[in-house]
This record gives sequence, structure tokens and C-alpha cells, in this order.
Amino acid sequence: MTEARTVRQARPARNPQVWLRQAGSESVVYDPGRESVHVMNATAVAIWVLCDGDTAPAEMIEAICQLSGLPYDVVLEDVSRILDEFEDAGIISWSD
Amino acid sequence: MEEDDREPIRVLLADGQSLFREAMRVVLETQPDFHVVGEAADGMQAVAEAERTRPDVALIDVHLPNGDGIRATSMIAERVPGCRILVLCEHEDERTLISSLEAGAIGFVTKGSPIGELIETTRRVHQGETTIPLQMLGALLARLISRKREHDDAIRRLGRLTRREKEVLALLAQGADNAGIAQPLVISPETARTHVQNVLGKLGMHSRLEAVAFVVQNSLLDELAGVSA
Repeated sequence: MTEARTVRQARPARNPQVWLRQAGSESVVYDPGRESVHVMNATAVAIWVLCDGDTAPAEMIEAICQLSGLPYDVVLEDVSRILDEFEDAGIISWSD
Repeated sequence: MEEDDREPIRVLLADGQSLFREAMRVVLETQPDFHVVGEAADGMQAVAEAERTRPDVALIDVHLPNGDGIRATSMIAERVPGCRILVLCEHEDERTLISSLEAGAIGFVTKGSPIGELIETTRRVHQGETTIPLQMLGALLARLISRKREHDDAIRRLGRLTRREKEVLALLAQGADNAGIAQPLVISPETARTHVQNVLGKLGMHSRLEAVAFVVQNSLLDELAGVSA
């Protein structure tokens, strides 16, 4: 049985040492601390931009639903997965 | 071979440059699923042609002469509700994108895009998909979130008012003076004036004009209409 996702109340913030470079349709995040590079698609970049330490995941989800017309559950799953990946990569932190 | 019996997508082209319109017409008409039903060289002509031809999709250049593309978009969205609008712009520009979407466009594409992308975007817009350059997604989402916060904050401020004060604010937003507020609420103009002062004080505003702008900018007329209903 799959577990239903819940929205985290904390707000994600970009690691200030990490920087984003966009070249054409490719976007790359470079983390000099870990010397790691992450290639991002456009949706991940959009969420990355919103990781300002002030925007809650619920607000991201609502805005994406409004813009795309996609069902809430689908957007919740995508946003949560992308934020989990950012966290695993150490490029965001969470603040209350 | 089965013939495709679907109706072609009826397209209106609105661009100030005849060379661009002609090129677009030629390209679109090489596609079996497109039919260009009209052309316009300026904003007012675009609106008139949209009303006359009732296209499925209107491709509107944002910098149309005589009534810009945003204004034309807004008028077409209002007068030809079945028409889906794709705005064309020279460059990716966040303010233009947001203005276009607010005016009623559902697609936005730059003129620097490959022609195949423009054709595909037109098809997607016809299907009702919101299409914007992916690079602009983050900024647009940030703007939507900011708007939502402003609206929520406005609703919170509205919550400070009594039911009667909300009725007064609704009438104020419709342009009523003290007498115009007093008459439907069956109160004296002096009482209306006192209510207006209380409304302004609770909202932290200094003038009636500021209160009207607060209602309009935050789209609160529907909220207030519910009070007097």
C-alpha cells in the first residue's frame, strides 16, 4: 500500500553557497561545498526559485495547480518528490 | 488510408508587420489541421476580425499598433469567449507575460522560437493548455504566490469590519457618496459618513479613493456582494 503524501509545514531555503547556471534549455546547480553538480528540468528549476525560505510547499502546490489545472494530488506528489531530492542532495534546508 | 475528418483549427493572425503575417499564414497553411480565417494589422482590427470570424485561436503580437496586444487580448477574451489567445512577444518578459495571462491569454511564446515550436504551441493552446516558456515558470509562480498572499491579507483586513461596514464599503466601491450609501441602507447621510470614517480607520486608509482601490485591486467585490445578498 502506498502512503499518502502530506504537505510539510516548514519552508525550504536554498543553500546560499549553491548557484544555478542556465545555458539554453539546460539548467545546472553547482554545490561547491560538496563539489557536486545537479542537472535540473524546468519544473525543478521553478521550484528551486521558490525555495526562498519564505514560501511554503502548500503555496507552491496551490500556484502550480492554478497555473496548470493539474489535480492537487499529482502536483503534491511532484513537488514533494522534487523537494525530497533537493534535501537528499543537500542543496536546501528547512526552516519553521 | 483514413481521412482525418476533424475540423481544422481556425486561426486569426494579428501582427503589425505584414511580412510576419504572410510568413505565418504560409507556414500554418502547410499544416493540414490549420486554417487561417483572418488577419489584422492593429489592435482594433484584431478585435473586429475576431468578432467577425470567431476563430478557435488568435495569435496576437503584444506590440500591435492602435490599441496594444494586451488590450486587444482583453477585449477578444471578453467578446469572443470561445477564442483561445496565444500572445507573441519579441523577448521573454515577465511583466508582459503576467499582463497577457491576466488579460485572458492562455499561451505566451517569443518570436525567436523555432517555427515548429510555435505551431505545436498553437495546437496546445487550442486544446486549452496553458503554455508559457519554461524558463519563466519560476518567476510566474512567485508572482501568483505573492498575489495570493496579498488577497489573503486583504480578506483578513476585511474581517475587521462589521457587516454594516462591509455594506458601506461595497457601496463606496461602486462610487456612492454619503447620500448614495445612506439611501439603500435606510440610514442618514451623517450616519453613512460615520460608517465610512470607521471603515477607513479600521483598514488603515486615509481616503475613500484608497478604499475603492483596495477593493478593486484585491478583487473583493464578490466578497462584499455576499454580505449584502
